[in-house]
Amino acid sequence: MSATLLGQSILSGIFAGSLYALIGLGMSLSWRYLRVINLAHFAFVFFAAYLTYEFAGVRGVNPFVVALALVPLFFLLGVLQQVLILRFSINEFSSIIVTYGLAIVAEAVIQLIWSADFVRYENRAMHGNLALGTLLFPVADLVMAGIAIGLCFAVWAALHFTWLGKALRAGLDNPQIAASFGVPNQRLLLLVAGSAGALAAVGGFFVAVLYTLAPSQIFSWLGVVFAAVLLGGLGNPIGLVAASLLIGISEAITMAVTAPSWAPVVPFTILILLLVLWPERV
Amino acid sequence: MSISMSSQNIVPARASATRFVVPALLIAATVFFVMLPAFKPPPFFESLLYLLFFWIALATSWTILSGFTGYFSFGHGAFYGVGMYTTANLAGTLSIWWCLPIAALLAALLGVAIGAVVFRVRRLRGELFALLTLALTIVLATIILNTPIDGGPGKYLLGVQLPVIYENSATTIYLMGALVAMGSLAIARWVQYSRLGRGLFAISDDEDVAEVLGVPTYRYKLLAFAISSGIAGVAGAVQAVFVSYVTVSETFSGTIALYVILMSVIGGARHWLGPAIGATFVTLLNFTFVSGDSALAARIVIGLALILATLFLPEGVVGLFRKRRLAHVQPALEAAPAAPPVPPVTLRGAGVAVAPQLERKVILRGEGISLAFRGVQALDRVDFEIREGEILGLVGPNGSGKSTLINVMSGFYKPDGGRLLLDGENIARAPAHHIAQLGIARTFQIPRPFPRLTVLENVMVAAMFGGASMRQTMSIVKAREMLAFVGLAERAQALPSQLNLHQRKFLELARVLASDARIVMLDEVLAGLTPAEITSAIAMVRRIHGGTRTIVFVEHNMRAVIELTDRLIVLNQGRLIAEGAPREVMDDPAVVRAYLGAPDAEG
Amino acid sequence: MQGRNFADATRRSMLIAGFGLTLAVGALAPATAQQPSGPPIRIGGTLALTGPLAQTGAIHKIVGDLFVEQLNKKGGLLGRPVEWVLLDDQSKPDVTRTLYERLITVDKVDLIIGPYATASILSAMAVAQRYNKILVHSTFGIPKLATYERQFPGWPLGFEPEKGMPTAALDALNSTGKGPKSIAIVTSKFPSVQFVAAGAREVAKSRGLKEALYLEFEFGTRDFGPIAARVREADADFLFMGAIGLEGNQLLEALEKLNYKPRNHFYVYPTPGPMASSPLGDGALSNTAFENLPPLNASPSAAAFAKGFNEAAAKAGLPYTEPETQAGASWSAWEILTGAVAATKSLDDKVLTEWLKKNGADTIIGHISFNGPNNYGPDLMRIKQVQKGKWVIIWPKDIATPGYSPQAK
Repeated sequence: MSATLLGQSILSGIFAGSLYALIGLGMSLSWRYLRVINLAHFAFVFFAAYLTYEFAGVRGVNPFVVALALVPLFFLLGVLQQVLILRFSINEFSSIIVTYGLAIVAEAVIQLIWSADFVRYENRAMHGNLALGTLLFPVADLVMAGIAIGLCFAVWAALHFTWLGKALRAGLDNPQIAASFGVPNQRLLLLVAGSAGALAAVGGFFVAVLYTLAPSQIFSWLGVVFAAVLLGGLGNPIGLVAASLLIGISEAITMAVTAPSWAPVVPFTILILLLVLWPERV
Repeated sequence: MSISMSSQNIVPARASATRFVVPALLIAATVFFVMLPAFKPPPFFESLLYLLFFWIALATSWTILSGFTGYFSFGHGAFYGVGMYTTANLAGTLSIWWCLPIAALLAALLGVAIGAVVFRVRRLRGELFALLTLALTIVLATIILNTPIDGGPGKYLLGVQLPVIYENSATTIYLMGALVAMGSLAIARWVQYSRLGRGLFAISDDEDVAEVLGVPTYRYKLLAFAISSGIAGVAGAVQAVFVSYVTVSETFSGTIALYVILMSVIGGARHWLGPAIGATFVTLLNFTFVSGDSALAARIVIGLALILATLFLPEGVVGLFRKRRLAHVQPALEAAPAAPPVPPVTLRGAGVAVAPQLERKVILRGEGISLAFRGVQALDRVDFEIREGEILGLVGPNGSGKSTLINVMSGFYKPDGGRLLLDGENIARAPAHHIAQLGIARTFQIPRPFPRLTVLENVMVAAMFGGASMRQTMSIVKAREMLAFVGLAERAQALPSQLNLHQRKFLELARVLASDARIVMLDEVLAGLTPAEITSAIAMVRRIHGGTRTIVFVEHNMRAVIELTDRLIVLNQGRLIAEGAPREVMDDPAVVRAYLGAPDAEG
Repeated sequence: MQGRNFADATRRSMLIAGFGLTLAVGALAPATAQQPSGPPIRIGGTLALTGPLAQTGAIHKIVGDLFVEQLNKKGGLLGRPVEWVLLDDQSKPDVTRTLYERLITVDKVDLIIGPYATASILSAMAVAQRYNKILVHSTFGIPKLATYERQFPGWPLGFEPEKGMPTAALDALNSTGKGPKSIAIVTSKFPSVQFVAAGAREVAKSRGLKEALYLEFEFGTRDFGPIAARVREADADFLFMGAIGLEGNQLLEALEKLNYKPRNHFYVYPTPGPMASSPLGDGALSNTAFENLPPLNASPSAAAFAKGFNEAAAKAGLPYTEPETQAGASWSAWEILTGAVAATKSLDDKVLTEWLKKNGADTIIGHISFNGPNNYGPDLMRIKQVQKGKWVIIWPKDIATPGYSPQAK
């Protein structure tokens, strides 16, 4: 095995991991701050991906315009979903069912509009790759990874250094105290829900750029994103990036050095060992 | 009288009527389902019922671990998969009657092996446990995919000979499904109302408290895991024959775990019947809308049904009935006239003349107890004695190590060094539940009742698992007695959240009393109470003592300490700095310095 | 070589015979057309209309609807209208099994027809076997597992596709004079393609090709980057991929990111649309049972089918509207079943079974006979290739799309 093969595989693992982080970020936030295990997040991602395909691919709208339009739209969708959840005061476990129900409906609606067949958004704007020595960096993946990791750091900074972020974390520890300091809890929660929705839109945009779409693939990232979100620590964007990259890279290296069908064993064994041997750090 | 009658009816241990009615109904249902093929229903109904049975068994088994115990598993597919592949690999050579128990055993062994490692790690609860089970499923699936257990092409159960009981062998699969489902319902019901179930529900609500009250949490969790995975294994073993073609992607697909959770939560995951109701709802929903012309509309209907079911039944279908029942009972209780004053309960040995201080026997002796947390020496070679029948005051400024010492004595923390001798036996490294069973009980500074158990059930747990080790029926009597003793008899069916702080502190007292503890450690029972409440609490402590019970009294309120205690020990910065009669100790210069020197000292 | 020529010759003659008969039936049909009357003949089946297999299930639904509609226009079956009782099995084999039991024992349909996908067909087959029903099915991938004597494949891929498919692919490439010397085999661990890849390994070995790479990956793999890096490093003359669905496209896209294009490449069961429409798919080889290309679409019934399918698929919003293996095999399954009924004037499962075993069936794919093991007769699969952005048949030569021949690099 050559160094190029190994390097290229690690790169591919970094890109895969970045996408896990991008899809997982919104999940992680809503799980931690809203106590909503949002399975509909994956449906949102795909809905955004299909809209990207429809407008940027079929109708030829500038993809950046599409991305800019999707973000507020999905912010709104996220808020709407949260209003529903708050209205009925749904607990964490029940939120799995409600959001799974939403995902089923979304899958059916997507199939109704775009058929069950595969569709592909051929993106010309982010085509090709950059060479650095013998390693090749595909532009689309590079942009996605940059935005994914950038967003994770931005969310982390927002949580730690802005008044709203601090209020949010305080509200989580003690809602009463936070309320007595004038922190409007409800509105903050809606803000989180909206942001999670907006993040789904960004994720969906890149899923459309990078992958061929089919409605039945909504949950194809479920296991690995769940793992990254939990391993990284709920509501911890930096941990999420680290966990996602760990999973992505270890999977890619396994595929490069041994039978690729063994790939899932390595990251998930690492994860199990981490959990059992080092639980306080997880 | 009418009050106690009506509340008797909802005693969780089941009044005699339901105790026999439900098992009779289960047996009747089993007989009915086993006889059904004799009436030759269309085989489709057998098949549909089989699928229903399959999901009932799987969802019920999930509930025994995750619903009852609160360990949320996202990897139930693993145990089901072990069962599937057991049959897939063995059915060619072994009779199906061998495959089923082997499948159950292998799945249960896997569950126990996982649990034996995982349950030792205190932090692996909640989401982290879910993650772990998810990861294990993926690892297991990958191993099966890449080894001869499957290898990739899938396993086709060609020529599996099934015994023909009615007319054809397909009915045999139906019968196996019926027996597995009814069996798992019976097991789940038994677990729920047995000692095991009491312990599991306590673990689910607050594992640390359960352990301190004497519930052998580790063993119980392993048992729940074994039962749960064993049932899933059998269900999978039957399912393999039903589908006849077993592949990794079908077997370990995430939807299995998801469906099981959906069904349990919709039905109600804290009741043995909940998952069966949920499974029936979801399965029938899936089979009602199968027309090829409206497949997508059907999916939308199913999605909406799931949403609506959850919105309007947040506690599951079972929760709805429970709420009704409580609503029915509660007003009756509230409206009832104040209960007649409860005659003081005579405690064991009460009234015996109190021996003078020095002649009292030492029952618990600490020798050189040390404990450090991340470099901070919380306890530094502490030596102390607790003598039979005394009220020992344990005081010191904040952070002096009082609570740590209580935690060590109750087994919650294991000391780094030193011995803790109870009647000569070193219990320093004994598990907390063992210490509780030896008769050492404690309260928590901030009351920690099990939030989802009623007040009565809270006390029952202590009576069943603590030093008293009572049978369930006895524990009800005991619990009622103790609730009457602390004045909470009328609140027996309330949930702890419906009590005020004062009442919750008394609930803690009822729990330690019900456990028949020889040594009762009271951790700041007076904190946060109003002066009037303090007076009544002090009186209560006296009554608890009853002249004979050994009490360790941790308190900041010096008036109470001096009024109540026979002897004092004083801790400061993890060291024992004084010991002796209360008044003398309080005048000790070292003690005065410790209190005045500590900036945030109270009282 | 002698054997192959003979096989080719018989295949050719059967094909011509098949077309002749189809033509004859097609010509007769309008004359006898009249309004069907009486109670309908009900044919029951399930399809994966939702769930992970729905994209292919949709094709089978279009074909079934179209066939029944055309059949009823032409006078139905035995003078009676035909009704297709279709249920959604949600891509789940256990649901499939239960629904077939419902169709047979509750809905009491007259005949059944197969569902989509190997696992579900196996489930349905077990039910059919219990009730001794004849089961004609379309795309069943593992002939060795089809042991029930009353099952008939509408997809004539031969009893050993794991030999037939790689052999035909290599023959096609060798015919250009630029036959590959080395091979890289990459396969999904999906049952119906994995064994074909394993067979390709044997075939390549027996033909003296150097095996530069053999990889198995998990079905459902999303990140093909490392696999692509290994394929590039192996740099074999011929990439044989045990791909189902999109996996071929995914590998090609990952290879493109590494600036690598396989010189010759074969995919076992690729989704046809994305492969043909992607610029990366150029030169891709695969196998097919039917394409809307001469000479296969020469008969009126084939032409009517292709035209009808184009329209219905466009109406259903499918991005790729050309009929190919899935649609063709689905149609042929309907032809086999209804053809047997028409010929025997019977709905009796035993009578139909005996007739089909004896006579085979004429379909748009050709004349399918059921005289081999597990009712699999000769292999009628053809090799197709993406040339200039569309699939054309290039092998065997007698069925090759006029003007096209295998291209190798």
